[in-house]
Amino acid sequence: MEPNRAILLVGLGGAGCSIVARLAPSLPAEVKVALIDTDASALAQANGRETLQLGRAQTRGMGTGGEVAVGAAAAESEEPQLRRLFTGYALVVLVTGLGGGTGSGAAAFLATVATDAGATVLAYATIPFSHEGERRKRQASEALDKLGAKAHGLVAVQNDLLLLQVSKDAPLSESFAAADEWVGGALRALAGTFVPGALVPADPAAVRSILATPGSPTLFTYGCGQGTGAALAAARAANECPLAHAPGATTKAASLFVAVTGGPTLSATEAFEAVAAVRMRFGGETSTLLCARVVPDFGDRVEVAVLGASTPAPKPVKKGKGAKPGEENQQIFGFATEDSMRRGLFGGTPLTFIDGQDVDVPTYIRRAVRLPASP
Amino acid sequence: MTKSKPLPSLIAVIDIGTHKTVGLVGQIIDGKARMLSFSERRTEGVVKGTVVDLEKLHNCVHEAVNDLERVAQRGIEEVYLTIAGPSVAGERVKGFVAVPAHDGKVTARDFNEAMLSAKRLEPPAGRATILYMRQPTMLDGKSVENPVGLQGKRLEVNFWRVTMEEGNVRFRVNMINAMSIHVRDFILASHAAACALISEAEKQGGVLVVDFGAGTTDWILYFKGHILCAGSIPVGGEHLTNDLSVALRISRDTAEDLKVRFGSALHRETDANQTIWKDGDKGVGDQQFNRGTITQVAALRFQETLEFVRKDVLHQLEQIFPGHAVKLDQNFLPSGAILTGGTANLADAAEASTNVLGLPTRVGIPQFEKEAYRKPEYAGVIGMMKAAIEDAPPPVRRPQGTLAWLKDMFRF
Repeated sequence: MEPNRAILLVGLGGAGCSIVARLAPSLPAEVKVALIDTDASALAQANGRETLQLGRAQTRGMGTGGEVAVGAAAAESEEPQLRRLFTGYALVVLVTGLGGGTGSGAAAFLATVATDAGATVLAYATIPFSHEGERRKRQASEALDKLGAKAHGLVAVQNDLLLLQVSKDAPLSESFAAADEWVGGALRALAGTFVPGALVPADPAAVRSILATPGSPTLFTYGCGQGTGAALAAARAANECPLAHAPGATTKAASLFVAVTGGPTLSATEAFEAVAAVRMRFGGETSTLLCARVVPDFGDRVEVAVLGASTPAPKPVKKGKGAKPGEENQQIFGFATEDSMRRGLFGGTPLTFIDGQDVDVPTYIRRAVRLPASP
Repeated sequence: MTKSKPLPSLIAVIDIGTHKTVGLVGQIIDGKARMLSFSERRTEGVVKGTVVDLEKLHNCVHEAVNDLERVAQRGIEEVYLTIAGPSVAGERVKGFVAVPAHDGKVTARDFNEAMLSAKRLEPPAGRATILYMRQPTMLDGKSVENPVGLQGKRLEVNFWRVTMEEGNVRFRVNMINAMSIHVRDFILASHAAACALISEAEKQGGVLVVDFGAGTTDWILYFKGHILCAGSIPVGGEHLTNDLSVALRISRDTAEDLKVRFGSALHRETDANQTIWKDGDKGVGDQQFNRGTITQVAALRFQETLEFVRKDVLHQLEQIFPGHAVKLDQNFLPSGAILTGGTANLADAAEASTNVLGLPTRVGIPQFEKEAYRKPEYAGVIGMMKAAIEDAPPPVRRPQGTLAWLKDMFRF
């Protein structure tokens, strides 16, 4: 496999294509981009990038008119072309807007084809605004279930949530730009791991192994910090990133991949501080992979991207009408971990670092001083 | 009508620490300060100098204000607050003015202009300026006390500017305002403690004051009578307690008790031969511990924290005097170091600190009329009262309502 054919970013459907088209210019050259839609006019914004028009037979270059069945049929008829497109990529990032015909109908099928072609599939789906009506909402939620079962990782973001992130009278373009910033930043960092020359390199295969099982609850978030303490600020921002609070995203993941990207001044200490802060919030008990990369034009900016997954929980038993809403979100009863034992009374408080040491851990433990035996 | 005597105004100070919230209300009568009430409460909602639970802290401060008002039998109208901890930062700001050449004498207007130009520098985004402290004024590179009327070309005014995260300031002001009390001023906690502990002569010579509190250890360095720099380490006495509770697998309260009774800032080999009892009654549930374990754990943490202070001081000095290898010794600071705050009560604290800092250290005990308050942990609040009294005389303000005003008249 050629190393530069590592990541494929696919925009599916009208919404997916426009997100990808907006993101594409800011992505590193290692990320290949492809636009897939039934509507020929949506593909016109490709600017010379790879395109694939679905369902020429079914829709004759028009959209699906919001019909899921049409979208699904259109995708199925182009299976050989899709397979050719996906072959050779380690990671396929599928970006789509659910609720319409193409996205909702074809997403799960695309994920299946890509998986069969040997790629790991990370899906990023937007869920329609609540005022877009019942039908689109229902279509979206059905498609999300199907996609979640097929894709290795799934991040679903409600468009409603995006609106809350910007001020009330901000133009619509601004709220979309904010969303692009998170997704784009996270993708950029992810793509960086597939580029040689990292300060602390991560094995792309290991990154893929995080998303080994289809249908696992996924965590995908991004934060950026600047100036002194930039790494920690970025880790904090990653915690506040709306992607981390998307429905279906896990709050704690067993396996984490943390990519820290910074300017020439980024020190290993700083990078590890950020990772420690991320682990504190997002878990990573089973394994935590770190990739640190230096990009000369970053200046004193630091970006932190987190990709995480847990093994899928057993399917919840369908609850009757009496079940309380939100029960599935309840916190799991936890036992004391080694970490909380070491930090004692300060377990759960923000980490304090001096000279790269977590000073809340007792001095005698950090210095490995043997204490006199108890009587 | 003869000049009427001003109403004695109340001076209220509150020091919100990680462990304790201490308040003091005083009154100046015939030029002498008199203490009216004192309040001390366990602070809740603050960890390592950072507010983690606003509501708990709010309640705690409210109770403290109630205590103070009840005992003083008067309502508090304005209060001085201390600030400390990791969200506080200090920096040096400079202002220049070129003295007009026609006679070369600095006028009051030039001086003012230089001060304004220093203060015009915006604090970093998201931070609010709390206070400015005068540092040496330089005229053509020479330090002068008052430049007005002197000959020179270039006047440089220096300030030590203390800034704090904006949200933190707003929260404090709002919390106090919610009780219909006005925040008159903020005082840097370490500076407040220093006011109670050191003389003007010591400040002139040069002295380092280390306030080893429960949640944070704040330091401030005086040089040639001015504040040169200050800093804060987010480690305090709570960390000693925590270490003991982890090492001995005991509760926080037991660890605190053992720290106070058996802890030490120095570990001696002979400590390991001593066995101590937790309760001392040797009854059910009493536990035996090796004293060596306690002193070892406490001493390591205590000395490490002062080591952090030493590094922080040297780091800041390096930035102030670039190129000069400033050493922390008695040549630089003839008055040595003064250790204060609750953790200064630890046995052998002064000796351990002398070893680590490389400066002769004494434990700073505030001189106060009442003996019960002559303890290092009260240095902050007492010093703040002292600083508040020295502050411009509080404006005479009529208490709200005619009756309250009359009451005041009669009491006087």
